[in-house]
Amino acid sequence: MARMKFYCDAERCIECNACVTACKNEHEVPWGVNRRRVVTIKDGEPGERSLSVACMHCSDAPCAAVCPVDCFYTTDDGVVLHDKDICIGCGYCFYACPFGAPQFPSDAAFASRGKMDKCTFCAGGPEDDHSSAEYKKYGRNRLAEGKLPLCAEMCSTKALLAGDANMVSDIYRKRIVNRGASVMNWGVSYDNAKLRTR
Amino acid sequence: MIKFVVSRQLRLLPGLLSVFLVLLFISLPQPGIADEHQKVEGISNKNPGADLWRNVRQRDQELLGSLKSNSQGSSQVKSVDSKMLINQQGDLWARFRMEQLIKYGMMSLGGILILILVFYLLRGRVNIDGGLSGNMVHRFNSYERVLHWVLALVFLFLAITGLTLLFGRTLLIPVMGHELFSVIASSSKEGHNLFGPIFLVSVVLMLIRFVKKNIYAKGDLTWLLKGGGMIGKSHVTGGFFNMGEKSWYWLVILIGLLISISGLILVSPNFGQGRVIMELSHVVHAAGALILIAVSFGHMYLGTVGTEGTNESMRTGYVDISWAEAHHDRWAKECHEKQLIVSAEQYAKLQGRNPINSEDSLSLEKNQ
Repeated sequence: MARMKFYCDAERCIECNACVTACKNEHEVPWGVNRRRVVTIKDGEPGERSLSVACMHCSDAPCAAVCPVDCFYTTDDGVVLHDKDICIGCGYCFYACPFGAPQFPSDAAFASRGKMDKCTFCAGGPEDDHSSAEYKKYGRNRLAEGKLPLCAEMCSTKALLAGDANMVSDIYRKRIVNRGASVMNWGVSYDNAKLRTR
Repeated sequence: MIKFVVSRQLRLLPGLLSVFLVLLFISLPQPGIADEHQKVEGISNKNPGADLWRNVRQRDQELLGSLKSNSQGSSQVKSVDSKMLINQQGDLWARFRMEQLIKYGMMSLGGILILILVFYLLRGRVNIDGGLSGNMVHRFNSYERVLHWVLALVFLFLAITGLTLLFGRTLLIPVMGHELFSVIASSSKEGHNLFGPIFLVSVVLMLIRFVKKNIYAKGDLTWLLKGGGMIGKSHVTGGFFNMGEKSWYWLVILIGLLISISGLILVSPNFGQGRVIMELSHVVHAAGALILIAVSFGHMYLGTVGTEGTNESMRTGYVDISWAEAHHDRWAKECHEKQLIVSAEQYAKLQGRNPINSEDSLSLEKNQ
């Protein structure tokens, strides 16, 4: 079985936010909920980098550990999903998550939380694949269609990688080699790539 | 004699050898210092990747860094903490809840219950010396009693729903399964949120109504030193409220207000408070509530089976004068002086006619 992973290449992400938009459109995510977001660090300063972040589908997920109703489960592909029929919208997963992935639609008084919504790695939920109930609650199940998450599929610079962990790391390793990483020149600087050929 | 000296020297040998080796090591030329001059000409071996990931982790943030926008990144997605890439405190909070709060919460609540049971089995009900007299004295009017029971019932409801959310996964899911527990937990959450503000109002009304009678007075320290009469057989002194009741009152007021404020922060996420504030509020809310619940077990025990004649005060508003003399001697003396004592016959008549409507037993005396 595959072990599904996201990886965002900080050297390639151009903060176009297309992944955010594509995700919202594909899954018809409600207002106020963003399953994916792009965060720019050092905006406008030297060393500015952007990263697209969503649920990272942790092996030992803190959200699952802290959930008072135990609504999380991990699929055979290593995707962390949750059951919205069980979820009570307490918000504990949001407090525990390192990436701020769990989101809550606020539709009642005092913005009280509805049922949690988060990135599903385009793998739907516990309902039958391609059922309308699944689509309504969790969005499209692209994994069951044999497709990878849309955010990564349509990323224009291929900064966002999604798929089997081994494939993702193979692709990223090749990039690192081509960028001229060496003992002399750690990291991924294009400026110093010429050092390698000297 | 000689043999002894030799063996002593031999024993010192390893120590001397190690000192020698340390001295040798220090005197050797340091390779790092010599190489520094050659490295100046070469390329900087600073790792840009390390800098990137240091920024990603936003390690320079303080505990309440989420409040300061300058230490964060930026994002087009405008929601709570969306500018923060890594939530530093989440793991700390999650581990506190799962490994400490649940474990020690269960242990302390269970421990208090066992302690009370052991005390009851050893000491039994604390009876009034010489039994109850049958002559009563007015203690709480109807407003005070209704206030007490509103606060008590809301507190019990909040405690049960709160403990369901805290311990349910450990205790209830194995018994009833995920689906049924989800329904119970969901209604617990909604009920808890709904009744929480009523608790705050009751606590504030309690503060206003009883604050004068609960200021610590002379003699309260003696009560504490004698363990409230639990230690030994000697008599303890007390006013309208004794030291134990005053302490329970202040615990309810202070922790009650703390729980209410942290609860309001948790219940309304529409003010944009970040995760750190929510996590801290949760810690205060849960720890405070567990302390209050644990002590409330003691209060409930003493109010029902623990002591003779106590529950009357919150049922009818009257207490036996012997009970007052035993637990609140200074107040009982006052009652004697002001002639507020109602005889058994009067009390029976009063109950039949107008059980809860008498504001003051004085007016009753005048009517007679």
